Amino acid sequence: MRVLVVSSVMPFVDGGGTLIVDWLEEGLREHGHQVDVVRLPFRLTTRGMPARVAGMRLFDVAEHGDRMIAIRYPAHVVRHPQKVVWFIHHHRPLFDLWGTRYQDVLDDAEGRTIREMLRCSDNVTLAEARRLFTNSQVVGDRLRRFNGLESEVLYPPVAHPERFRTNDYGDFIFYPSRVNEHKRQSLAVEALAHTTTPVRLVLAGQFDDEHYPPFLEGLAREAGVIDRLTILRRWISEEEKIALLADCLAVAYLPYDEDSYGFPSLEAHHSRKAVITTTDGGGTLELVGDGVNGFVSKPDPVALAACFDQLWEDRNLAQRMGEAGEQRVRELGIDWSNTITRLLA
Amino acid sequence: MRVAVVNNCVPFLSGGAEHLADSLVTQLERHGHRAQLFRFPFRWNPLVKISESMLAASMCEIDVADRVIGLKFPAYYVQHDTKVLWLLHQFRQVYDLWGTEQGLEQTEEAEQVRHSIMRADNRCFSECQAIYTNSPVTRDRLAQYNAVDATVLWPPLGDADSLRGGDAGDYVLAHGRINSLKRQELVVEAMRHVRTGVRVVVAGAPETDDDEARLRRIVDEHGLGDRVELRMRFVDEDEKRDLLAGALACAYVPYDEDSYGYVTLEAFQARKPVVTCVDSGGIGLLVDHGVTGLVADPDPRALAAAFDELYRRRDVARAMGAAGLQRVAQLGITWDNVVEVLTR
Repeated sequence: MRVLVVSSVMPFVDGGGTLIVDWLEEGLREHGHQVDVVRLPFRLTTRGMPARVAGMRLFDVAEHGDRMIAIRYPAHVVRHPQKVVWFIHHHRPLFDLWGTRYQDVLDDAEGRTIREMLRCSDNVTLAEARRLFTNSQVVGDRLRRFNGLESEVLYPPVAHPERFRTNDYGDFIFYPSRVNEHKRQSLAVEALAHTTTPVRLVLAGQFDDEHYPPFLEGLAREAGVIDRLTILRRWISEEEKIALLADCLAVAYLPYDEDSYGFPSLEAHHSRKAVITTTDGGGTLELVGDGVNGFVSKPDPVALAACFDQLWEDRNLAQRMGEAGEQRVRELGIDWSNTITRLLA
Repeated sequence: MRVAVVNNCVPFLSGGAEHLADSLVTQLERHGHRAQLFRFPFRWNPLVKISESMLAASMCEIDVADRVIGLKFPAYYVQHDTKVLWLLHQFRQVYDLWGTEQGLEQTEEAEQVRHSIMRADNRCFSECQAIYTNSPVTRDRLAQYNAVDATVLWPPLGDADSLRGGDAGDYVLAHGRINSLKRQELVVEAMRHVRTGVRVVVAGAPETDDDEARLRRIVDEHGLGDRVELRMRFVDEDEKRDLLAGALACAYVPYDEDSYGYVTLEAFQARKPVVTCVDSGGIGLLVDHGVTGLVADPDPRALAAAFDELYRRRDVARAMGAAGLQRVAQLGITWDNVVEVLTR
């Protein structure tokens, strides 16, 4: 099948956001499809966005491809007779983040007009799709709430899960992710201070703010656990990440109200490791069952510390939960073969 | 510098312009810049789609880039403060092709579209920091239709490093796409008239069945099978490199080409002289008779004489091939130059 993938991209910004597009392209090719990916530059500033969205709608690819898969906001506004949308999230500051500090226009006539224009454009253009998928129930619920649209959950896989392996259930909790306030690595460091076992914590990932690692180290120093905290500030290769996942005791993933389960959770399970997350983690709760394939802890350092300690003391439990995690990923059908079959059905 | 290269695209189609855009991005990166290519879908039928494509591109902002390089209409309408153009060609259907069979059909609506394109082009060109073209033909059209004074910036080979010289064999290589405008039949016909042991290898994909049949017929009719080898199919990079390395010379004899052609650049990169014709157009820029190759009349006998001369005088052929590579560097047909100019 000839499959056209249309995505938006923020020029010169690296990061997880577009990895899924690269992997989708690769997956489609591996499954024997002819693929072309059109990546359209898009500026995410709210002001002026209705005009930019209207501009994107004018790109006409309707004559090309047996299917068009639109992924990443606002690629779904592009028209195609066989449009399939894999909706990752809204323009969040206007919808689920409206009323929080992430709201970036005033709640006045202009701000509300922008919001209404984009809501209407989402309503119309999403309804054109022959299939509408989201990456999580969280996002599916938002589509129902803001747009009155039903959708199907299609959990995004990682590329080549067979790369991940299990070596040991070692003495450290690994937290591989972008490092920023939203991901709450600070909570993991604070938890370390309350542990009663010699469990260690290893953080690795791109730092959004250079002041954050010294801040984390300060926290650890104050609590007297600096010797049990490792922050890998340098860029780590995929191979190095895979090795750390293979050796760790379990993985911590503690974002606040995430859209989806996050690739770190999935990579943990592919490495047969348990995932520790929190009750306010949002999408992570769709993957992690408390006491089954990890822990869903209260978002407080003492409760988290208890989870760290419990796993350190009971490596068999860490292993059982890790294996249950791998099983969970399989049950949910999170693999490229299934994903592509559903996208092209 | 963060450089955004913008080109138009027709999904699933790829040709010379796409290859050049990819090479430009690769080379920008190699020269220490961060580069990203953006391809804007372009549709021109029905007419209203032209206007929509123009509007879509012009509503796009790439403000985080330090430089935008626009290659084609209408992608070059993207908003940016320090935009430069390296124009491969304008929307010719409303300029030099207007009123010809290849132009837009001359209706009232088309007339309006044409005027809106000209207006938008003129405004865009006036806002650009600099305008370069890939050939004198494009430059002259800009001057004629838009009163724009552009500079020619010759496009180098995408993958020059992979080509190499080698010992000259006994064959003249005619490589590249095969069609009637490229006139490979002149090269094949010439083999009826040669007096030395020189051979010819024709290598490339024929555009139509006719193009293939025409060459085969000449070979069959005149029993040239032992002197002419026809590899009429897609030739991959490795095969092309080996064919070039072992050639005595290259023959490139199209009719009135706009530019010097990649075939010529490839020949010189492999240090082989080029045989071309007096009416071949842009190739004359690189091929100086007796210096970097031979320029013959578009006639099989004249070409045969040129092939014989190169076959008899290997040392001269070798020297002309080396001079060809020098000529390329002299004209600044190198990525060092292109990257420097476009990021200036």
